[in-house]
Amino acid sequence: MHEFGITSRIVNTVLQAAAEHKSTQVLEVELLIGRLTFLNPAQVQYSYELLARGTILEGSTLIIEEIEGAVRCMKCQRINSLKLPPQGCYDPFPSFCCPECGGSVEIIQGKECLVKGAKMI
Amino acid sequence: MRKFPGNNGVDKIKIEKDLLLDQQMLAAENRRILDRFNVKMIDIMGSVGTGKTSLIQQVVKQLKSNYRIVVINGDLDTTIDQERIGSCGVDAYQINTGKECHLDAVTVRGMLKQINLEQTDLILVENVGNLICPVDFPLGAHRRLMVISVTEGPYVARKHPAVFMEMEYVAINKTDLAAVMNVDVGELIRDIKGIRVNARVYPISCRQQGGLGDLATALLEDI
Repeated sequence: MHEFGITSRIVNTVLQAAAEHKSTQVLEVELLIGRLTFLNPAQVQYSYELLARGTILEGSTLIIEEIEGAVRCMKCQRINSLKLPPQGCYDPFPSFCCPECGGSVEIIQGKECLVKGAKMI
Repeated sequence: MRKFPGNNGVDKIKIEKDLLLDQQMLAAENRRILDRFNVKMIDIMGSVGTGKTSLIQQVVKQLKSNYRIVVINGDLDTTIDQERIGSCGVDAYQINTGKECHLDAVTVRGMLKQINLEQTDLILVENVGNLICPVDFPLGAHRRLMVISVTEGPYVARKHPAVFMEMEYVAINKTDLAAVMNVDVGELIRDIKGIRVNARVYPISCRQQGGLGDLATALLEDI
């Protein structure tokens, strides 16, 4: 739901990088989104197209790569991935505890919204 | 970095900026400010109508003789909540987000500048009514509490596992209506603990003032 707000920060981040490089046109932007965020890549894509209009990002391609979630057990330190099933949602949701020892876990991957880089002229 | 021949003038630029990590860093700065003044902050989240304001009113009643409390109310529009909290005899500050579905660390920082932190022990933040979005935007609070209620039906935890995965503290409000709503509170608790084994779940009724003492104590324990 907050894709528009976060995408405007993405656009501003790229515009700032483009200004630093005295670029006149951005061609491509690479973005990484973690699957444990509440960001819907399709809505980010749509917001990007709207927000890019009238800027040097207009017409550029936004490439979104998604990254799986992973958790680490705070007791036995074991790392487990939360792989998204093919149907696109976790059903049933993996219990948020260590499958090995039942300990509490912390998220170590999947909360990213990383602007990796951009191609520009 | 300009227009080398052979690459058609295209430069590949590394940016490597994580916007959600930025939010965490801004939240950490808020925490440092709060800790400097020894002020504790609790972020209270939940859908529209779960009873966040009522819960804050009740918690204020429980705690105001021992703590100097300030409340920050987040809403798209109106100062209704600020007025409701103000009537409890504590200072309330309203943030109107216009269209944003959540508060963020920067907006809260603006409020921290207005609050006399030297004269404050506890800040209760009422986030914008929304079950999902505020989860991605930490404010720097010492505790995050999710408020749900039985009027959202029996499946609210199961349908939003990625939300409850991140919530250590959950209050289930309106338990006095559980029978009318045909909701089994025990099952809701099992759902929440099934998602997060160490979740602390507090059934409450703001209307009948039930369970609020336990919740207030738990929120401030070892904070």
